[in-house]
Parts: sequence; structure tokens; C-alpha cells
Amino acid sequence: MSDKPQPAATEKIFSGIEGFDDITCGGLPVGRTTLLMGGPGSGKTVLALQILVSTAMNHGTRGIFVAFEENARRVAANGEIFGWDMPGLEKSDLYFVDACVQSDVVKSGSFDLTGLLLVLEAKAAEMGAKLIVFDAIDVLLGLLDDPTAEARELYRLHEWLMLHHFTGILTSKVEDGQPAISARYGFMPFMADCAVMLSQRIADRVAARFVRVLKYRGSPHALNEVPFVIGPHGVEVGSSNGVHPEPQPFDERVSTGIVRLDEMLCGGIYRGTNMLITGSSGGGKSTLAGAFVEAACCRNERTLYISFDENSRDIVRDLGTMSIDLAPYLESGLLRMESIRTEAASSEEHFMNIKRMIKEQHPRCVVIDPLSALARVGGGMAARAVAERLIYLCRNKGITVLFTSLLEGSDPHLETTTLHVSTISDSWIQIYYALLDGERNRALSIIKSRGSKHSNKIRELIFSDTGVTLADPYTAGGEVLMGTLRQEKETAASRQKAGVQ
Amino acid sequence: MTEAVNTLDHPKGAYVFKLYLAGGAPNSVRAFANLYAICRKHFPDSHRIEVIDIMKEPLRALAETVLVTPTVVKLFPLPAVRIIGDLSDEEAILRALGLPQKEEQ
Repeated sequence: MSDKPQPAATEKIFSGIEGFDDITCGGLPVGRTTLLMGGPGSGKTVLALQILVSTAMNHGTRGIFVAFEENARRVAANGEIFGWDMPGLEKSDLYFVDACVQSDVVKSGSFDLTGLLLVLEAKAAEMGAKLIVFDAIDVLLGLLDDPTAEARELYRLHEWLMLHHFTGILTSKVEDGQPAISARYGFMPFMADCAVMLSQRIADRVAARFVRVLKYRGSPHALNEVPFVIGPHGVEVGSSNGVHPEPQPFDERVSTGIVRLDEMLCGGIYRGTNMLITGSSGGGKSTLAGAFVEAACCRNERTLYISFDENSRDIVRDLGTMSIDLAPYLESGLLRMESIRTEAASSEEHFMNIKRMIKEQHPRCVVIDPLSALARVGGGMAARAVAERLIYLCRNKGITVLFTSLLEGSDPHLETTTLHVSTISDSWIQIYYALLDGERNRALSIIKSRGSKHSNKIRELIFSDTGVTLADPYTAGGEVLMGTLRQEKETAASRQKAGVQ
Repeated sequence: MTEAVNTLDHPKGAYVFKLYLAGGAPNSVRAFANLYAICRKHFPDSHRIEVIDIMKEPLRALAETVLVTPTVVKLFPLPAVRIIGDLSDEEAILRALGLPQKEEQ
């Protein structure tokens, strides 16, 4: 045991991984052991490598990666896939030790880690390394084939890390047991100062990854399981930490792209708020979204249009038939359109993707069409949480958002959305089909608009080759007139007007 | 306690070993004794053992990718064989060296 005095508060080092530092309340314990556990393919190696890479890049903390299972060169090559400058880091900040046990090694009698620790001590002193990753330590220990010896060697390692004030990261497989950890290494989480469990589960045929901090000696930590993804830039943890400074509200109004709808909303929606458009299939949600995008681009605002399961080109072509021309903005780069396959990823991965696009483009307006697509992957609760986080993310960045949601069922008055996101929407517009006198006409009404004395009228929504507009309201016998009836009334009214003049 | 050899000019037919130890750790001491006993018994006149103390030359062990102690590498005759442990299992060693086991008795 080390006879160093125990520090009062746990000293920590930021992992530099978004979300991970939130759930660990500030990162890894310095001079201590952190254990990353998980089944095969759960992302242990990537996470360990990323912590090493990001602490080297962000804090200049040098580190050593000891690879027991995978070839060290291959581990380093994996880092390059995520865009990390491995050759640059390996010049002085990172060192890889290939500790793979060759299959032809003969074992005769007992051995221990003393040699390895001596080697690492010398290497760490030579390069000034402070962080050491032992990837798949269980592979080497398994060779001992003696549970008592395995435990002894792990404690040796643990004490060695403490003595030299190295920050250690151990990764170890767990039997697919869930939530139980392997009986063989059951003591490992007890030994480690910080134990993290990574898991992968299938929900609705879509694989989703989760991370949970099992324990953190001398520190608070998030108790819940939190989703994470391995994206093109490595691990991103969907933090449960929702505390952000409240953004300053805007007084400015943003046009919906339809003059008469803006009038109904007393001048449009407030900047930085969101508008939900619900409707049944083919109701014209995407067309309204298109009008909003065109107006945003006309104001020279960067805009991001995310469509689920519909080709961007098709959307542009269809909108073109209604004189909504997005092509020039796409060309100039003001507008970015991304078409995402819903089934391709979990709702959590979709969230991370969209978040990344927002980070890259810094849009002032975002369209998500339809947000309800998220409900198809990853289960209702998860999808709802993701939808909410997406809305809050945009709100915090002052982005004006239009999102659509498909209404299930045919009752237009049953105002429920799949994700129940209407409660977090600032403005809510409903489009439905009005069946009257042998005609099917599109009707639009504003259900809510926070901070506006919005119109309570139901209006006919007219799509034509000259654009999108709302018809003047005509009522007869308490019913809103639409289609042919409305046209007759309109003609009669204009004749009357002409006659008066 | 070293009996260094230049592995390049080893006597023909001799067994050449490199033994990596961690100072006076108990299993290192055992490995040292066991390897000498085996050599004296099976090839008394034709063996060379180089002992490398990782405590003294840690970076050399790293360069030679020897990380657990004790480790013995048989360099000659080829093929090279790597054995880890305190060499207490004599049969396993003889098998690894391709020698007939239990010749006496």
C-alpha cells in the first residue's frame, strides 16, 4: 500500500469526451484506476483510446496504450478512422505497447506482471506519461489460469498505479450477463476507483449503446444509464445533464413563408422558437416546410433541412411545382439538405448526427421533416426523449425550428402526435382534410402559438403552381366553406362588389 | 549471475537461451534455478544462457517485446520458442524444446 496521504477531494482529469465528463462529474480520477467493462463490440477499446488521444490533444497529458488483445498497430490505425492524428501523436505524446500474447507461447509455471510494470515505469519516466491504458487486461490474466493469482496481479497493478500516481484505465470483457458482471472478475469493480459499464442492446431491431457509471469513489456521478454512439469522430455520450443557461428570448418575428399564415400568427413566429406542423399523410406538411425554408433563405439565413426517408432532390422537385425554388440556395450553400434513412440508426444516433450537422453548419433555421420518424426507431420513450433534446438543443442555440409530425389515425380532431411533442412546441399548426359536399379540401388551423393572439379561424390551404396560400374565410351556416362552395361564394362576393361599384 | 553469450557465434548444436527476470522476485529466482537445472541435466556441455534483468534494462525488454516475467526465449536451435512462467513444469518445457520426455527411469 502506498503511504501517500489521501487527497481530500478526488482530483480529476477531463476525458474531453462530450457527455462522458458530465456523467462522471468532471472526468477520470487522477492517479487512480478506472475500469471500463463491456461485452464484445461494446466500444471499450475505442473509448479508452479516445480518452488517451483527447487528453493528449487537450491537456498535453502523455499516455501509453498497452494492447493485450488487438495488435497495437491496428488499434492505432483505428484511431485514424476517427480522424485523430495518430502519427503526429505518436511522435511524443502517445506510445503503443504491443502486449498481445502470441498463440505459440508456452506456459510453464507461474508468472506475474512485475516485468511489465518495470517496463512501463521506465517508458513512462522516459516520455513523461501520466495516463496508461491496459486494454483487455483479462486476456493476459486469463493465461494465469488461477483466479487467486489473477486477483493478486490486478491488485499489484492497482497499487502500482497509485504508488506512481499514474491514471490507469483498464478495460475488461464481461460475460454477456446483464446486469451482472463476470463472476471471475467480479471483484474488479470493487477494486477500481471508477467503474464504467458499456452495453449494447437491441430495441425494435435497432442496436443502441449505453454507458453507465457503476461507481465512483469519492465523487458524485450520474446514476442512470445514458445512451452513446460511436460516430465518425469517435464516442459521443448523450448526456443526461440538461442544465443550460436560459437563452435570451427574441422579439423578432420570423416569417413562415406564407403571408396569410403570418397574418394569422400576428406577424409570424418568434425567432428561436419552434413550430410544429401536424397532419396526415400527403396533407402538405413538407410543402409548408418548403415555404418556410425559402423564406429563411430569402432573408439570407443559413438553413438546415433534414428529411427522413425522402430524397432531397425529390423534395426540391416537388416544391418546384409550387413555385418554391430551393435549388439556387442549395447551390450557394446557404441551404443544406440532408436525407436520412430512419431505419439506418437508433434515435440516439440520429440525434448525434443532427447535432453534429448543426455544429458544422451553424444554421439559423432548421427543418426536421418529420420528427415523428424517430418514433419508429428505438422505442417510444427513447424517441420522445431524443425529440425533446433536439428541440432544447435548438432553443439553446436560438435556432428557429419547424418540425413536422405525422398524425396517426384519421380523426383530425384527435390532436395527438406520435411523440407527444405538441406539449413542447411553441406554435402548433394542424393540417387536415375537410370532407364537405363531395370534396376533399385541405384545411389549416392554428392550435396554439405562444405569445401571440393568433387567429382562431379554420382556413382552406391552397396549393397551386403559383405558390401556397390560404383562402379568405367564408362561412355559411356555421361551416367554413371550402373548395367549390368557397369559390362560388367568392365569385358571388366579387360580382356583388363589382355591382356596387 | 550472468553468463552472457554472443548469440551470433554460438557453438554449433548448442542451446542458446535468453532469460528475462525481474530482479530477485521469487518466481524469477525459481525460473533461474529451474532453467540451469534443466540445461545441466539435458545438454550439460552445449548450452548458453543470457540473463536479462528487466529491473536494470527495462527498455531493452520493451524493445524485445518481453513483458511478463519470468520469460525464457530459446534462440537456437531454430525455431525460436518463448516460454513464460517459473519453468516449474519441466515436461511442458521439454515438449516445447522438442526433447524426449522422462528419458531416465
